[in-house]
Amino acid sequence: MSTRLSLAIASLVVLVVHGIVFYDQFLNRWEKHQTAYLEQARSLAKTDAERQSIDAAKPRIEQIIVTQFGESRVDRCTTCHIASDDPRFQAYSQPLHTHSYSASLGDIEKNGRWERRHKFSDFGCTICHDGQGRGLDTFYAHGEDENWPQPLLGFATQANWKPAYKAKLTGAEYMQSNCAQCHTEDSFAGTPLVTRGRQLFFEKGCYGCHRIQGLSHGTLGPDLTEVGKRWRIDYLWGHTVNPRDYSAVSFMPKFDLNDDEIKALVVFLKSRKGMNFAETTMDQYRAKLQQTSLPAGVGANADNTPSAARGEQLIAQRSCTACHRLGDKDGHISPDLSYEGLIRDDNWLMAHFKEPRSRIPDSIMPVFGFSEGDYRSITDSLLSRKTPPNFKTGEETYKGLCARCHGEKGDGKGVTYLYLDPAPRDLTKAAFMTTKPEERFLTSLKEGVPGTSMPPWERVLTDQQRKDVLDYVFKTFVKESRRELKERKVPETNPVAFTPESVNAGEQIFLQRCTGCHGRKSDGKGPNSLDISPRPRNLRNSAFINHTTDKRLFTSITYGVEGTAMPSWMDYGLTQTDIGNLINFIRSLNPKPAAAPAEGKSPKLTSRLTVRR
Amino acid sequence: MSTQTVTRSRDGWLALPGNIWRSVFRNPLPDSDLGRASTSFTNFFLHIHPVKVSRHSLKATYTFGLGLMSAFLFLILTVTGVLLMFYYVPSTTQAYDRMLDLRGTVAFGIFLRNMHRWSAHAMVAVVFLHMCRVFLTGAYKPPREFNWVLGVLLLLVTFFMSFTGYLLPWDQLAFWAITVGTSIAGYAPFVGKDVRFLLLGDSTVGQEALLRFYVLHVAVLPIVLTMLATIHFWRIRKDGGLARPPEEDALPGESSTPGPMEVVSAAPVVMATSAGAAAAAKPLLERKQYGIQGLVRGPITKVGNISDRSKFSWPSLFQAELLVFVITVAAILVVSLFFNAPLEEPVNAMHPPNPAKAPWYFLGLQEMVSYSAFWGGVGIPTIEVLILLLVPYLDRKQVGVGRWFAKERLLPNTLFITFAVLNVVLMVIGTFFRGANWEFVSPW
Repeated sequence: MSTRLSLAIASLVVLVVHGIVFYDQFLNRWEKHQTAYLEQARSLAKTDAERQSIDAAKPRIEQIIVTQFGESRVDRCTTCHIASDDPRFQAYSQPLHTHSYSASLGDIEKNGRWERRHKFSDFGCTICHDGQGRGLDTFYAHGEDENWPQPLLGFATQANWKPAYKAKLTGAEYMQSNCAQCHTEDSFAGTPLVTRGRQLFFEKGCYGCHRIQGLSHGTLGPDLTEVGKRWRIDYLWGHTVNPRDYSAVSFMPKFDLNDDEIKALVVFLKSRKGMNFAETTMDQYRAKLQQTSLPAGVGANADNTPSAARGEQLIAQRSCTACHRLGDKDGHISPDLSYEGLIRDDNWLMAHFKEPRSRIPDSIMPVFGFSEGDYRSITDSLLSRKTPPNFKTGEETYKGLCARCHGEKGDGKGVTYLYLDPAPRDLTKAAFMTTKPEERFLTSLKEGVPGTSMPPWERVLTDQQRKDVLDYVFKTFVKESRRELKERKVPETNPVAFTPESVNAGEQIFLQRCTGCHGRKSDGKGPNSLDISPRPRNLRNSAFINHTTDKRLFTSITYGVEGTAMPSWMDYGLTQTDIGNLINFIRSLNPKPAAAPAEGKSPKLTSRLTVRR
Repeated sequence: MSTQTVTRSRDGWLALPGNIWRSVFRNPLPDSDLGRASTSFTNFFLHIHPVKVSRHSLKATYTFGLGLMSAFLFLILTVTGVLLMFYYVPSTTQAYDRMLDLRGTVAFGIFLRNMHRWSAHAMVAVVFLHMCRVFLTGAYKPPREFNWVLGVLLLLVTFFMSFTGYLLPWDQLAFWAITVGTSIAGYAPFVGKDVRFLLLGDSTVGQEALLRFYVLHVAVLPIVLTMLATIHFWRIRKDGGLARPPEEDALPGESSTPGPMEVVSAAPVVMATSAGAAAAAKPLLERKQYGIQGLVRGPITKVGNISDRSKFSWPSLFQAELLVFVITVAAILVVSLFFNAPLEEPVNAMHPPNPAKAPWYFLGLQEMVSYSAFWGGVGIPTIEVLILLLVPYLDRKQVGVGRWFAKERLLPNTLFITFAVLNVVLMVIGTFFRGANWEFVSPW
């Protein structure tokens, strides 16, 4: 009996669900809207013929199929919004509301009758308004479903947006990003926000890091060619306001933008959908050809004579301080430029602008490709910063200049440390600090460390200030006194002659012994490198290697480097000849500037190695 | 006179409906044991059942109806699948739009899709549970070894059916799940890359892959599955019905277990249960009308030698089967009413979601792949399947058959439960505890 009872209950459930489903499927809301429309239209009808045609009409699914813009679109919006093209319904509320007529959209009024420029039958609805044309239910049709990438504009800006942002963007403004799908002209009157956004993209230096096909070729940040297709407006907005709200690992600087600038940038970004209805593939191809040169609009000031004052302006316009520190502005990513006039010279700055990696091989600074005049101006402006700071004690000096990279605690983890390669030295590592001659630290302070972000402080700090800061470091962070090391026997210069055989032998040893940490490309990125602190040296950092003496290389390889993972290779059986060969191999990776092309770009592989790898 | 009346009443127009009915259903609703037996074996749909079944096999807590449930889910999938085929186009440019149409415009479209989707998930789960039931009751012991092997093959085909169907909506979920799933196949040594290429027809998931998965999903695999399932059912009868303890087959007053060559099934022979009916049964036995059902195994037909611990299939078995069917349908309907099948963003091959996950039943594999590509994706699964296939040949002792968690089977049961739980745990970790970059996240 219990079987029969359960059978009865289960059958009832089946029956009930069927009832609900049938009810749900056959009573459509759009039918109600259409019936209401037909009733109203009948009462507004003036002729009998009109009335008869209305009487004959039955509710049905209306659709507009648009094939001229890329993939065909099926817009069924007019099933509910059936009065959108019926001028008599201007006073009715949605969904039975006439789509407004506007001269700004190109609509023309003739004898009291409006004619649309963008006819619904040609354009459909979703091409401007977004949303999902195929849906017949507001939830899906308006794109309220979280998986639909293009929700209805008004819905996106109002219904599901953070309250803090709601007031800042209207659907009509947002629509400009869709207008720009066809109206791609650089300064189309109907899309001022897109135009402004494009300007800002260049003014604020976005293009330095981001690539947009046809516009820019930055590689540091994500490619934004299709960013509007991928992300919804709220994400773009939030990410532009503060990148780290959305991605904890993002190192995109937080730019100082006002709401109008954010709005323009976001609408511009939303208009980047990787395709353009107005462009043929040939146009895209041409755009691609041109993408290495910047558009004429960038920094086209009337006054083009280079001057320090103009440089000052440019630094502000191009948002240099989004990364750098300059005076009281600090982007917390890259070096302090406040004393640049005392640190770098004209040659260094100009060469570094054109190719930052010619000076600091692992720098992340983008190549911005400004005009020569702009670089000149910025260089002049930076070189004019020649006022040395007035620090009285070692502690003041450290906090003012060193802590930004080496950290408040001296642990090499200042605000910028993630973005510097090589990373700032961990000054608390006593094993390292107490085993190097004092002379070396003083030299580094005075002359800087070539190929790294450690600048020469010679003209910024006096001899005494430098000595004070070193004392402060030892007293506060190292906390141990220097150790006297045993006499080490190392030759002053490499006794092994620089011959192809020696380089070859060195390479063999390198491949056997060194690649685990220094990597097969000897760029310091071997498989173990991530577990090692400090990271292994990039042996292709020519500026650093060429500055380092044979004696120091010999010492480091033979006896190891205390306080780092570099072991004493003498203990592992390398002879002096082996080490000499290794050094010749390392030198062969870093041709001296004299041998290299005049504008010493990043060092090239010797042909022998290129063939080999 | 009365005969004439009957004849006349069967000739007229009025008798037409009755005549049609009787021509289709030859037996009236049975009121005797003879009628019950006759109903079972004269009906096309019922004749695959024995006339009588052991009471033990009818116990709901023995089988939980899991095998039947898998079959009924397959039936639901076939019906809804065929209906969906009327709308679906296996083309990268149209498939997603068709999904949108199904969801928004086609009458019952979304409901059909929900039913199909949830039945597919349910079938994978139920087939797996069915396997657990068979193992834990020791039902794969001789003579049922080969049916277990068929069952393992059916499980694999079910996985593959579900997997091939996963791609068809052509949304981000589908695209990346198949990208991940097929790349797991690519880890196989020597042939991995070729198998992957054969599946996808390309180096990446694209139009070719969509077409291949479609053909596999709607034509090839259903035929394979139907054939295997048919043999699976046929073997149940030929192996003597569902496995049960030998004492269930003991004749009244008999305690010894039957020899291997004797009839061990509940042979569907009409058996008079009361003394009065015995006389009526005698002429029937002489006519040997039911002998063919008794020829199950063994050298001789043992008509009448049957334990009374059995019941007529009509109505006991059919009622139980109907109940399983209605419960399955009801469950799928209710789930489909409240939960919509997921449809994510249109495919964008440039933007993988992070993490990109395979379908849930392959997340155990993906989790293992995150430790070792070869062992997790190919080595361990292959070993698992091989062990599953070999189980009935390795464990042949006739103990603990037909009983849940038999004490004599402590070791195999423990091993199996460990294996099952391990796989489920990996699946749960892969599903709920893995976030971006496959890093451990808490779902709370």
